[in-house]
Amino acid sequence: MIPQIMVHAILQKSVAGFYTDLVTRPTGRAVRENIERDLPPGTIAVMDFTGVGCLDYSCADEIVAKLVRDKVKVLLLRGLTDAHREAIEPVLAGAGLAVLCERADGILEGLGASEPAPALLDELVELRLAARNPGGTIRLTAA
Amino acid sequence: MTRLVEVPTSFDDRSFDQFAAAYAQATDGERLLFDAHAAEWASPYGLVGLLAAGEAAARKGERPLLTAPANPDVVSYWARAGFFREAGDLFEVHGKVPKSKVATESEVLLPVTPVRAAEDVHAVVSTIQQRASAILSSELGLDPKATMGFAMALSESCQNIVEHAGTGGWVAVQAYNWRRKLARRVVVIAVADAGVGFRHSLESTQAKRFGERWGDAAALEAALVQGVSRFRDPGRGQGLAGIRRYLARWEGKVAIRSGTARIAIVPRWDDDVPLKDGLPEFPGSQVLLIIPEQESEKGSSKQ
Repeated sequence: MIPQIMVHAILQKSVAGFYTDLVTRPTGRAVRENIERDLPPGTIAVMDFTGVGCLDYSCADEIVAKLVRDKVKVLLLRGLTDAHREAIEPVLAGAGLAVLCERADGILEGLGASEPAPALLDELVELRLAARNPGGTIRLTAA
Repeated sequence: MTRLVEVPTSFDDRSFDQFAAAYAQATDGERLLFDAHAAEWASPYGLVGLLAAGEAAARKGERPLLTAPANPDVVSYWARAGFFREAGDLFEVHGKVPKSKVATESEVLLPVTPVRAAEDVHAVVSTIQQRASAILSSELGLDPKATMGFAMALSESCQNIVEHAGTGGWVAVQAYNWRRKLARRVVVIAVADAGVGFRHSLESTQAKRFGERWGDAAALEAALVQGVSRFRDPGRGQGLAGIRRYLARWEGKVAIRSGTARIAIVPRWDDDVPLKDGLPEFPGSQVLLIIPEQESEKGSSKQ
């Protein structure tokens, strides 16, 4: 079973006050540290952004980029809005990193640098966590 | 001895250097009197810049004096924009200041608000999303999705204070008709602090690389154009780059003044100078973001 990270719930646990926005480095750091506590290194994880309002570049870097760089093997994002993608994409691309992203229709696609994304998809297929559809698109089989 | 620092009649980013020149003449130990009695108008940039000057002056000597605008409409507007709520802590204010509430009118999207810690940035972002969304989409013709990008840009601008200034600062956001350049409505974000400034913040990591060229202008260029940060962490420097991307998409403008220099990313509707050096010294950093009303497909601006 792939670990599920509910970002909004972790945000509520990580900072004092009721916030729905993932903004500022200190907030991002607190959220990431909370995530890392329960996440074994080199794992495959799903990160669900449902309920998260604004995500700024600092938090995109502090949470998503640092988890990809230092902690997880494959990170799959779901519940992303267009604005979340706009914050995450350049941060990852600039660092030569990529994550997978589950679209509303269930299809997986790469987000960030274009080079590492196909290998991430292949990895999920190889582990039978995802499967190729006849049209060539890829969807999760588990999680 | 008290030194007079005149606040320009029309106080915005263009007249700021005149204000900074008067401020720069002050010497340590002098008490400053900021004279705004003749002020007729002030942009958010002017208001937060004046607070930064007040803080810097108080640090150097006695608590500065401030003469409030004599024009009742002007002083009332400054009060509604939240200026006097903050000024009371910094200046000995003279003149008639109305006890008007801070505005809830549509032009003042965010009254002058102090930024000292990450929690303040959270509050600012939350407030702006509630208030700015209608203005940005209905009045400026931005895609409703752009509201989130606006909040991101605002968050990153404020974080420069929290992360780099070494002191607190202020932010204000307003929408108004900008006759000077565009004859269109604009939303303006102004952020100012009286902290260490870009040159000092980046000195330990960048000065060597720039050699003799190192100074306020080089520091601004490094931060805004090259996206460098004082932190060695590879993910740093994202904020200003993100602001640039957002503004490029909506034909917006960013200008940053720090120390003796000012840098701007100039959109086609403006004729500002990209980089100015040798300006009168002013403490900290002052950031200006302008997002204009979008032109309709027919080529005219939305009415």
